[in-house]
Amino acid sequence: MKERTLSYTLMVPAFLIVLATTLYPLAYSFVTSFREWDLTKQRRPGDFVGIENYVHAASESGFQNSLWVTTIFVVTSVIVTVVLAMSLALLLRREGRLHTFTRIILILPFAMSPALIGVSYRFMFNPEFGVLAKGIGAIFPALEGTPWLASPDLAMAILVITDVWHWTPYMTFMCLGGLASIPRETEEAARIDGASNLRIIFGIILPQMKGVLMVTAVLKTIFALKMFDQVVTLTGGGPGTSTETMAFFIFNVGFKWFDMGYASALAWILTAIMMIISAWYVRMLLSERKMATA
Amino acid sequence: MKKLLTWWGERALLVLISVVVLFPISWMFLTAFKQPRDAYSTSLNFTPTLDNFVTVFSDPWNLGSMVMNSVIVAVVTVAIAVPCASLAAYSFSRFRVRGRKFLFFLILSTQFIPAVVIVLPFFLMFRSLGLLDTRLALIIVNLAIVTPFVIWMIKGFIDAIPTDSEEAAMIDGASRLRVIKDIVLPMAAPGILTSSIFCFILTWNEFLFALILSRRDAVTLPVGLVSFRTERGDLWELMSAAGVMITVPIFIMALLIQKHFTRGMTAGAVK
Amino acid sequence: MAEVRLVDIEKRYGSFVAVAKQSLTIENGEFLVLLGPSGCGKTTTMRMIAGLEEITAGDILIAGERVNDKPPKDRDIAMVFQNYGLYPHMTVGQNIEYPLKLRGVNKATRQQQVQDTAAKVELDALLGRRPSELSGGQRQRVALARAIVRTPKIFLMDEPLSNLDAKLRVTMRAELKHLHHELGVTTVYVTHDQMEAMTLASRVAVMREGRIVQLDTPRKIYAEPADLFVAGFIGSPSMNLVNGSVTAGRFRAEGIDVPVDLPDRDSVVLGIRPEELDIATDSSAPVAGKLYALELTGDSTLVTMRMGKTSVCARGPADFEAAINEPCYLTPKAGARFHLFDRNSGQRLDG
Repeated sequence: MKERTLSYTLMVPAFLIVLATTLYPLAYSFVTSFREWDLTKQRRPGDFVGIENYVHAASESGFQNSLWVTTIFVVTSVIVTVVLAMSLALLLRREGRLHTFTRIILILPFAMSPALIGVSYRFMFNPEFGVLAKGIGAIFPALEGTPWLASPDLAMAILVITDVWHWTPYMTFMCLGGLASIPRETEEAARIDGASNLRIIFGIILPQMKGVLMVTAVLKTIFALKMFDQVVTLTGGGPGTSTETMAFFIFNVGFKWFDMGYASALAWILTAIMMIISAWYVRMLLSERKMATA
Repeated sequence: MKKLLTWWGERALLVLISVVVLFPISWMFLTAFKQPRDAYSTSLNFTPTLDNFVTVFSDPWNLGSMVMNSVIVAVVTVAIAVPCASLAAYSFSRFRVRGRKFLFFLILSTQFIPAVVIVLPFFLMFRSLGLLDTRLALIIVNLAIVTPFVIWMIKGFIDAIPTDSEEAAMIDGASRLRVIKDIVLPMAAPGILTSSIFCFILTWNEFLFALILSRRDAVTLPVGLVSFRTERGDLWELMSAAGVMITVPIFIMALLIQKHFTRGMTAGAVK
Repeated sequence: MAEVRLVDIEKRYGSFVAVAKQSLTIENGEFLVLLGPSGCGKTTTMRMIAGLEEITAGDILIAGERVNDKPPKDRDIAMVFQNYGLYPHMTVGQNIEYPLKLRGVNKATRQQQVQDTAAKVELDALLGRRPSELSGGQRQRVALARAIVRTPKIFLMDEPLSNLDAKLRVTMRAELKHLHHELGVTTVYVTHDQMEAMTLASRVAVMREGRIVQLDTPRKIYAEPADLFVAGFIGSPSMNLVNGSVTAGRFRAEGIDVPVDLPDRDSVVLGIRPEELDIATDSSAPVAGKLYALELTGDSTLVTMRMGKTSVCARGPADFEAAINEPCYLTPKAGARFHLFDRNSGQRLDG
């Protein structure tokens, strides 16, 4: 067999899977996004209504709210995660028993089911018997009995905390990988030149980590935009609609109200946002590689 | 003096991090072994019991069937995704053919598509095919998420293997397919194993698809958690017991491949 | 055993030309070395012979048969790689056995041949080990054993010694030469080390920027380099090259004045090997300058002197001593050969 033929043949099974499980549904939902299709009223796809679903999204308050919630969630969780991950990586890059132990257990939050993380934080922040709610109350009596998940801002904060808890380890590993690829000589040279620890971190290490940090931030943004599991198990989107992220809102439109056309349109808006960010990400990966080979 | 302070400071920080990581997990484990009345207090003074595990595995919760669903869905997904992805990853890694870059980015970019977009049409299709609430449905949609990811990961592992041995084998008289079987697969085995476990974890923890596409028969463990929210309130001790069932196998796997795990999941992303 | 013919072969990557339309015939039983700096196309040429690289144009014939479209496995060649290309998951014995296994040789014969070959390269005690448990030199032997376990039409060796330390390299070099003598198989050998090329080759093809600039015996290449590039590449320390001009039968440059057999002409480069210069005491010597450095090599001293921007090196006696920055004189030995090149084209002007 010619090499070229073999090359394509090897790709066929995987490509078929991707085609059937991603590209086809994607096209299907794109078409649906231009239809009116209320599943409670009709079993078959409804009429084409042009861009009406998209126009509706521009003015509908539920979607506007989810857009806003998602933005706040993404911005806070990305900033907190990246800063924490970088700091942890700086702390963990040295050798030592405690360092190794911490590095190992850091895998656990990442391996844990996000839905379960939501559940367990909901349990721990229960104002009557939650261990964290009680613990905070014991240290700061003024906060005793705070209805953590019943206040919009606090619920959002806890949602961010669960996400940070889940993702920081992964991002820490990425930063550790980046740190390992920085040549040791630059840091040693700076140390011999008499630079202090802080100066080494800010003047030598962080500038060289710029690329990795950008990649980390973009990747985290993509993950945060999909936020769904903990919303269901931690807050249920509440109180009110204060933690309804886009993914959760689309889920509601599609599977509570069964408005397939509108849900598809919203899903495509979210896809478009993600696509723009991913395109940016891929371009960054490519230029990173160029820098690495230069 | 200053040195001693930073030394202790660093250790203290590491301990703090470990506590932050381990506390929520430990609390869940403790609660799983508490009597219901103990579960609703923060006291550590309790008599451990296995009652909760007995309860969740019996009527009406039947965690056993959920475990079954989770295992079957995850195993079959891995069994389909990993071999297909390995072949594609080898092809992407080793051949310089037309359209290779485009195809790779096409497959890679599907990883960034939000799951909600895919699940809507699948819900409609499975509904008309009568496949809602079946394991098959869950396997199909999980493949969508997992396949591109595994291709990416395994390609990272294969890229790191020098081509010399393969070329030597071709000159020694092996065909490409023989090279893949005799040389590449054994050399890439740790990477493929790591990717399989990674893929297993992703599928095992998957929530959105299972929530939407299963009702009663095909419910997996993460979705099963939601069923412990009853009119009587949230049954925390039972949720915790279920949580332990979800977590333990995954933790064991993650810790077993810890070294490769961190390398594998970051290799593709950074390089 | 076979003859290898390359006919107008070419390799392009997009617009980059790696090998530019070269022809070359490697005689049956010959030890041909492809020599050149990195990026000159020597490895690409070898990989095209092996079938690991597609050729953009031209033909490759092994034993008279066109093999352009044959995969490596059907070309009946053996190759030793720079990084050895051992199979890390197989033992030494399995590594050596693998080519036989692929050819369907029966088990008993296989075992026997593995034993014989291992004995030939002194690996018999290590057959059960994994490559990761071997030293660099031992790995090198495994790669060699795997190549010679069957008798291929040609051997290809891609810088096989470059990963070894200096001492081991010299021993292995002798072993390779002996092995070639024993087996008599046509061998193509790639290296950037001119010493390896000189010592091993029956013929050397010096390559530069995708072209073969000179193809000849080592002796001829050393004695009569075809152009400035080859002149500077072959020999250690390398040939002295001085810019100047020829007037009235004499080559003149700053500090140099020697008689040459060439009509008047500007932009001439004179080349003379350090080992063909003697140290003189007489200030009327044809080469005069200031002593720049003395380097003792053991059996001799390298004397570097400067005249303006050019420097000239000579191989003097081991006990030579003189003060740095003081005047110094050199004179060509009797029968020394001057090489004359055109400065612009680099081409040889005489002979």
